[in-house]
Amino acid sequence: MNHRIDTKNMDDRPSGKVIVVGGGIGGIQCAMDLADTGFFVYLLDRSPTLGGIMAALDKTFPTNDCSTCIFSPKLVQVAANPNIEIITLSRLLDLKGEPGRFTARIQKSPRYINMEKCIACGQCAQKCPKKVPDPFNGKLGVRKAAFLTFPQAVPLKYALDAEHCLYLTRKRCGLCKDICPTGAIEFDQKPETLTLDAGAVILSTGLEPALTPQEGEFGYGRYRNVVTSLQYERMLSATGPFAGHLQRPSDNKPPKAVAWIQCVMSRDAARNRPFCSSVCCMYAAKQAVLTRSHQPDTETTIYFMDIRAHGKEFDNYIDRARHQHGVTFRRSMISQVYLNPENENLIIETFDHHQNRKIEEEYDLVVLSSGFKPAHDSSDLVQRLGIVSNPFGFITADFDEPVSTSRPGVFVCGGMEAPKDIPETVIQGSAAAAEASALIETARHAETVSLKIVAEKPVEDQPRVGVFVCHCGSNIAGVIRIPEVMEQVQKMDQVTFARDFMFTCSAETQQPLIDLIQEHRLNRVVVAACSPKTHEPLFRDTLQKAGLNPYLFEMVNIRNQCSWVHGSGPDKATLKAIQLIRGGVSRAVRLEILHDFTHPVVHEALVIGGGISGMAAALTLADQGFCVHLVEKDDRLGGFARNLFETLEGDSPQKLVRQMEEKVLRHPKITVHFGSRLIAHQGHVGAFEGTLKTLEGNHGISYGAVIVATGGQAYEPREHLYSSDERILSQVELTRRIKQDPNWAKSLQQLVMIQCIGSRNPDFSFCSRVCCSAAVKNSILLKELNPDVQVIILYRDLRTFGFKELYYAKARKMGVLFFRFIPEQEPRVHKDPAHKLLVDFYHQSTYKNLRVEPDLVILSTGIRPHVESEQVARLLKLPRTQEGFFMEAHVKLQPVEFASPGIYLAGLAHSPRFISESVAMAKGAAQQAVKILCQETMTTPATVAQVNPEICAACLVCVRFCPFEAPFINADGVSEIQPAKCRGCGICVSGCPRRAITLKHSTEDQINAEIDGILKSIF
Amino acid sequence: MIAMAKIFDEADEILLLNQDTEDKAREIIGDRGNHFLKRIEGETAANISACYQCHRCTNACPVSHYMDVKPHQVIRYIQFGWREKLLKSSTIWVCLSCEMCTTFCPNEVQVAETIIHLRNMAAHSSVAPREKQVALFHQAFLESLQYFGRVNEFWLMVALHLKPIVLKEKIQTGTLTEEMALGFRLFRKGKLKLIPRRCKAMGEIRKLYRQERGEMD
Amino acid sequence: MKLAFYPGCSLEGMANDYSQSITAVFRNLDIELVEIEDWSCCGATAAHSLSELMAVTLPARNLAQAEKMGMDIVSPCANCYNRLRASQIMIQKRIFDVPWKITGKIEVHDMTRFLADPDMLERIMTRVRKPLEGLKVVCYYGCQMVRPPRITGYTDYENPQTLDRIVAAVGAKALDWSYKTTCCGASIGIGRRDIQESLTARLLDKARQANAEAVVTSCPLCQANLDILQRNETESTIPVFYFTELLRLAFEPGRASRKWFRMHITDPVPLLRIKELLR
Repeated sequence: MNHRIDTKNMDDRPSGKVIVVGGGIGGIQCAMDLADTGFFVYLLDRSPTLGGIMAALDKTFPTNDCSTCIFSPKLVQVAANPNIEIITLSRLLDLKGEPGRFTARIQKSPRYINMEKCIACGQCAQKCPKKVPDPFNGKLGVRKAAFLTFPQAVPLKYALDAEHCLYLTRKRCGLCKDICPTGAIEFDQKPETLTLDAGAVILSTGLEPALTPQEGEFGYGRYRNVVTSLQYERMLSATGPFAGHLQRPSDNKPPKAVAWIQCVMSRDAARNRPFCSSVCCMYAAKQAVLTRSHQPDTETTIYFMDIRAHGKEFDNYIDRARHQHGVTFRRSMISQVYLNPENENLIIETFDHHQNRKIEEEYDLVVLSSGFKPAHDSSDLVQRLGIVSNPFGFITADFDEPVSTSRPGVFVCGGMEAPKDIPETVIQGSAAAAEASALIETARHAETVSLKIVAEKPVEDQPRVGVFVCHCGSNIAGVIRIPEVMEQVQKMDQVTFARDFMFTCSAETQQPLIDLIQEHRLNRVVVAACSPKTHEPLFRDTLQKAGLNPYLFEMVNIRNQCSWVHGSGPDKATLKAIQLIRGGVSRAVRLEILHDFTHPVVHEALVIGGGISGMAAALTLADQGFCVHLVEKDDRLGGFARNLFETLEGDSPQKLVRQMEEKVLRHPKITVHFGSRLIAHQGHVGAFEGTLKTLEGNHGISYGAVIVATGGQAYEPREHLYSSDERILSQVELTRRIKQDPNWAKSLQQLVMIQCIGSRNPDFSFCSRVCCSAAVKNSILLKELNPDVQVIILYRDLRTFGFKELYYAKARKMGVLFFRFIPEQEPRVHKDPAHKLLVDFYHQSTYKNLRVEPDLVILSTGIRPHVESEQVARLLKLPRTQEGFFMEAHVKLQPVEFASPGIYLAGLAHSPRFISESVAMAKGAAQQAVKILCQETMTTPATVAQVNPEICAACLVCVRFCPFEAPFINADGVSEIQPAKCRGCGICVSGCPRRAITLKHSTEDQINAEIDGILKSIF
Repeated sequence: MIAMAKIFDEADEILLLNQDTEDKAREIIGDRGNHFLKRIEGETAANISACYQCHRCTNACPVSHYMDVKPHQVIRYIQFGWREKLLKSSTIWVCLSCEMCTTFCPNEVQVAETIIHLRNMAAHSSVAPREKQVALFHQAFLESLQYFGRVNEFWLMVALHLKPIVLKEKIQTGTLTEEMALGFRLFRKGKLKLIPRRCKAMGEIRKLYRQERGEMD
Repeated sequence: MKLAFYPGCSLEGMANDYSQSITAVFRNLDIELVEIEDWSCCGATAAHSLSELMAVTLPARNLAQAEKMGMDIVSPCANCYNRLRASQIMIQKRIFDVPWKITGKIEVHDMTRFLADPDMLERIMTRVRKPLEGLKVVCYYGCQMVRPPRITGYTDYENPQTLDRIVAAVGAKALDWSYKTTCCGASIGIGRRDIQESLTARLLDKARQANAEAVVTSCPLCQANLDILQRNETESTIPVFYFTELLRLAFEPGRASRKWFRMHITDPVPLLRIKELLR
């Protein structure tokens, strides 16, 4: 163990290492953000692989992206990052020391398979005689006691299940040890304790379903066709127990009717689960949509009480589920599920209000939308580390420090903080990275390693092509006949050398590859394996180590494109593989040496918007030593939050604004430009230049990254007499008046609050996320001042997600009355002849037309994007939604990034959100900017478009076509493409009428050669 | 097919409005304060306010279709202070105390206990019970108990049928002969005992009855 | 072993057969049941309906009597058990004062849970002389024994197991079905026959659907209700046993008292003959 630090020799500098506990999407995001900003990360996971819950998901809402497809590249990047050490099967035992200088003890359980030796050939699992219900598949399928959790597992190493392995339990069998080709099986491995030093610790231990078979709710564990939502996720998945063919457990028949029951182990005070799990409504809708697309004849019904679609564009998704996909939503909650013993169908009993009778409906399958709890060992962990958690085991943070824990230097992110969806988890992962990064800023780059660059050797004129064909265990070799492929490849006249490998990508294979390249003086390399998206960087790296230019590499995907899609036709798959390889070889011959571009980075950032998000982003950057230009159109900071007096949880936004304002104004690294706006912007990531229009006139600034935090504004209602009667107020106005004049508030007798004003309607489809909580907050404030005041809240869906649900319950218990209405039957506010206010509405629960005669009517007005955001969008060429919120690069995994590099997004400019969420987002966005700013130079790939000035006619087609503003007309009057801005998409190439543009590495010559090569074998 | 599946979709709820209540007068709420709610909560500790109208109780109730005010509506009516509507309802007499509603309530609202409490209130009020037969049966049971300290099925039925309303209705509906036939059959099977067994401590029990009637403190 | 036995009013009348089979079975099990001296009615649904005071006080007198005896109470009737427990809890919480001294020292057992204890099940198994092999039954618990859980103490109220375990211990096959605790409507039978009949008919349908040859119960009111209301000529009848009748049948095959079976309205004898459990 050489990890222990000698305290006597330790200088004042903190450790540049960080421990991230939990390898789900939150932990991975956090680890990558730290590793890319100059820190070394130990990424711990208690299971044999990284991945967490996201690895088990089939698709993700609201885009229905394949979870594995968007996630596995991240997994690969983590595995390939030299500054992240993955420690699987491990748990954090304890933590000593202080922030910046922690010493952690880690317990590492044995894998019983030597990670260095395992090549993941899968023979151990194939031969292992012991079948085990597969926990990854919700125990619906089986795996062996020697196993790989899922095909894309990282690290891609097998493990033995100590609980079930025959040798480990009964000293029998040992077959795997006999057959393992590399002798990787080590039955005598013992648990070890590692001691690691770290400057900060981040807890991202995640969630697990709260429903266990012991609960016995709704027949779970009793009836075979009752499954949890996570099990159903696996049932839908192509890699799941039923290989993506939707069928039910009892008889493997496709279900004709599926029901979802919401709020299982959520919003259930009787089971001490009074909070909302935040994500179940959306995943149930997604699962129903996917079910309908798997089997359009299957009826899908969701039993729910409030649809909590409070995220960005979620309501649109629900509408599509309902109207486009024909998912039925039933606002009715279920107590028990009954079994039809004749067919194992399940019966749900409801009371039919139309017919005034009880009805029984049969479903082939019932999915229980189980809420979540902190993953099983986290309560111990929290205790061992001495961290305060809430009564339900979550480490809920303060609103101004949304990822901090009660222990300095220890941060939290993701589901461990509160149940949340993937983008919010990613945001918190980045925010936690930002906190750690700021804490140990002085140790940046102290512990990180950078790759040694091997000098490129000169290349012979004559192409010498080497082809390496991968078995990918049985992934490729199980379908494609490799010997036949090899025979054909050897015959190709341009091929100098060919060889096949079990796992071409394994760490052990890279040195042999280097040796072979050098031995055979290869100067073009073709790897026929899997996807270049995941593995090209690895092989390019290997080429570089062999002294070869990395662009002399070509990858042919014979796994995804041959063995996977033609799994049932080995002949055709083999033939196609040969053809694709021939194409690859043909193209490889024509590959050219290319060199990436490097340019210096401006270590300053521009933050647009001086609200809470802008200030938080600026402070996060400045605290890490980067200069910030903070541009604010007003003459003071604070933005939207200046109007807010109190949060639902009792915090003061005004106080926060004052504190942040003071910090920002005093910070030597921050220059605040009041009354100003950005009017020009050019350049590229790492080196932008802009012009600020300020009160003193225009002046130019340069910056390496931009954070857009233009914020939002309140909707100005036209509805319900708002502008014509002073007894109609908005929630914001009500809070202000309560705070300013408590006696006035005490004098109130009766109020009606109306939700969704200016939200969730055809003109503006977004849910404003915060208004339900605002109404609950104000009603509690009023009730606390005067318990006899009657508050009536008219709502459509009460969206107090997460722990905000506790306040909804509190308001009810204080006597606040909640009534639901539907948009087709809106409440009506009017006045009688005596000017008395009247509110008429229809009550869904009692089927009665009701009337209230309140003193005041309060409108819960929604949040709109700030009007200024339009100008910023145009200037920076950033996309926005129909409603005017900025559109991030990827809704799930890149919530704070734009597609344009170097520009990031935070706060209300992205979508309506709470202050704590905005602060987290700002910190996360800032940390993405740090990735740029902490580098001395930036490298952009050589694969860019280039204009031939001889042919260019300056027709401007490329200038207009380019989504990234890369081409411009230069001093010579012809088009020129700035390499740093070019993303290599090729749109200009195909648009140019004179064919004056060439895309490097995808030249016409190379593409034609590839096509010729493929077709040659056919004709 | 899609349209078929959407029985309870929100848009369909408008139909309910048009059919059921369009022409009815609007009822004003919020004009009665919360005394009734406070009283019921005080007397039963039933957590009424916690209800979020999820309809679990009504869906779970085996007899909700026999009730004029559904269990979830009972809770609402209490919040509105609609005492009379509740005491007049069939609901409070139809409830079987099977406790499905209470058991499955996520907010620990003791729905069944509340309904039974309303039944108690109705029994002590001047409101005529909506389900007379049910109310009379309970009365007859307690009367019978008062005489013997235990309840004998034969004498209970006799006592019940001696109540004029019961007898009249049973004769009218023709159930009297049917019930007598069953009674005879049970007797022959040895299931009915004609001579009741008495509890000796009748003094104590009758004292209780007097206390219940408010004849002593 | 000695227990204070609270038979309840039904066992003196309609549930005479239950009463006799309990006496026989407990004798087989060598457990002495001492009838609570001069017990009185628990008030049942009526007291519960009309007066909370009576609902708490009537059972309390019996609790006091048993405390004097210094023995735990065992109650064979679901409704009595429920009322005794409810009263005991209300008194412990000091919500009501009762005229008798009650310390809450003694426990109130429902008879099925008492007998489903692992040690008891073992004892039951040792007494079996003719296992009831081939008899497929569904166990029906009714509502009052298991709900509300805060009074009855049942944690598996969605799928209780006590009767199933007892029945399995004497060799019968207890089928799983979803309607173990669905109300049969007995308590409203006198006032609203229509409700009672519809609920009972549905339950019997569900039992048939589960392929049950008989229903086993421990509640006198449920038994009477399910047993009597089987007059639909088109449906096959389905005998309704008290669980103690089946125990006795397995314990003393030769001497199983036909007298009890003759008291059933739905005759169980043909079924038992087919199963060769009765000659």
